Amino acid sequence: MKLNGVQIDDTFAEAFNMRGTRVLITAQNLKWAYNAANAMTGFATSVIGCGVEAGIERELSEEETPDGRPGVSILMFAMGSKVLMQQLETRMGQCILTCPTAAAFSGIESEDQISLGKNLRYFGDGNQISKLLPNAKGENQRYWRIPVMDGEFLTQETTGMVRAIGGGNFLVLGQSQPQVLAACEAAIEAMKKLPNVVMPFPGGVVRSGSKVGSKYPKMFASTNDAFCPTLKGVVKSELSDDIESVMEIVIDGLSFEDIALSMKIGIEAACALGTENGIKRISAGNYGGKLGPHLFKLHDIVNGNLSGAAK
Amino acid sequence: MSALTFSLNTSVKQAVNCKKLTPDSLQGKSLADILAIKLNEQLKVADVFAVQGDDATTLVFKHATSQLNYIGYRMKTGNIIIEGDTGDFIGAEMQGGTLICKGNTGERTGDTMRRGLLLIEGNVGNYCASNMRAGTLGILGNTGAYLGYGMKRGTLLLSQPPAAQATWLDCGLHTLPFLNILYQSFQTLDSQFAQLSCMRVRRWVGDISGLGKAEMLVLQA
Repeated sequence: MKLNGVQIDDTFAEAFNMRGTRVLITAQNLKWAYNAANAMTGFATSVIGCGVEAGIERELSEEETPDGRPGVSILMFAMGSKVLMQQLETRMGQCILTCPTAAAFSGIESEDQISLGKNLRYFGDGNQISKLLPNAKGENQRYWRIPVMDGEFLTQETTGMVRAIGGGNFLVLGQSQPQVLAACEAAIEAMKKLPNVVMPFPGGVVRSGSKVGSKYPKMFASTNDAFCPTLKGVVKSELSDDIESVMEIVIDGLSFEDIALSMKIGIEAACALGTENGIKRISAGNYGGKLGPHLFKLHDIVNGNLSGAAK
Repeated sequence: MSALTFSLNTSVKQAVNCKKLTPDSLQGKSLADILAIKLNEQLKVADVFAVQGDDATTLVFKHATSQLNYIGYRMKTGNIIIEGDTGDFIGAEMQGGTLICKGNTGERTGDTMRRGLLLIEGNVGNYCASNMRAGTLGILGNTGAYLGYGMKRGTLLLSQPPAAQATWLDCGLHTLPFLNILYQSFQTLDSQFAQLSCMRVRRWVGDISGLGKAEMLVLQA
């Protein structure tokens, strides 16, 4: 299968069940909302080393936020609810509580509620104030007002936790490193416009795809040598002579359809640069279909079938 | 379904205890049941009010006067709208829901209030918010003596500066983003409070003769 001359491999991305949440972060202006959100979603590229995977979903206008100030929404994913709760609390305390003018609110409804400011309130040392106020739907929401040096830190008590999927991905293979990066940048720009997904790696792109296991007993993952261009002659390589660089885009999202749509949009944007700009192949990372319950088949996705059933 | 409306008979001359007329206590009751509720020793609902409507989640008191005491006493849910003035202990020991009075209230408004939203568009009498435990009490008119006497927690939102009291501490002028959330919760209400937009307040904390965790937020023009 080819798209604009670019070969689409007959393979699939393999993804996992995760727990996710959305938090709305507001501030005096967008600059400070981004400062808070960037800190909150920093060092959150992979659950392997960071505990959570997180990213900024989109900007929010003043009309879209609970306190009428500009803001951004972030999505955060973890392999289990316990880790997600622990990471959310830690990051709220170190990144939102500390950030001038920032406030945090629940961004997703669910019966499962996890702490947002519930325990942070004790920072107020007894001077914290609880307010139980109805939202636009008339449902009572509990907020905490915590005195801080810049005035008052406002946070909702809890946010929703939902089932989500992490690890949707595709690989961009091309003639040179700058060309592959340009294709990935184009893909990320297009994918960032979609709701319910984030691409958690730096700039949305990862260059160090991994395989399971290593020659070193203490390492449980190591470099994906089959896709490393400098090892073409050494290992059983997946790369042809004309491929000099491979980069990967990893997607976490709230549903299979959200991730499949973002993969489709991203692959189309990358392929739009075409073979004349050095883009040769699109592939995907998987573990043979043995580990993850969700398989994103590239041919189905490019053909517009976005509702692939779980394995 | 229309709001359950209690129109005060002009022939009633004595004080009336309205403790039993709250949205939660009237849920599921028929009109006949409601009319038979005994308010005072010698007064039933039928003697005091003309009652219309069938939705007990919202109660409306029409032609209300200062004869009516204890409206919203211990109410837990729903809404009460009072068109006119009222007597004492309005919203006393309130535990939830929203109570709006479009006129003036008597003494001890919001006494020992624990939760909910109590909004008075007119003036309040002495000892308003006395012994209040939590919740939000807004007053657009003037306040009487001993405002927030023994108040422990909760918020008083005032449009007029209160009389100075030794047991309330001035914490200065502030711009509080939290007020946006509070004002948005007013937006769906049929009340002058829905017009509020002032983010600048003077904050007082008290009553330091007791717990001292309550606040008065005085809106700045």
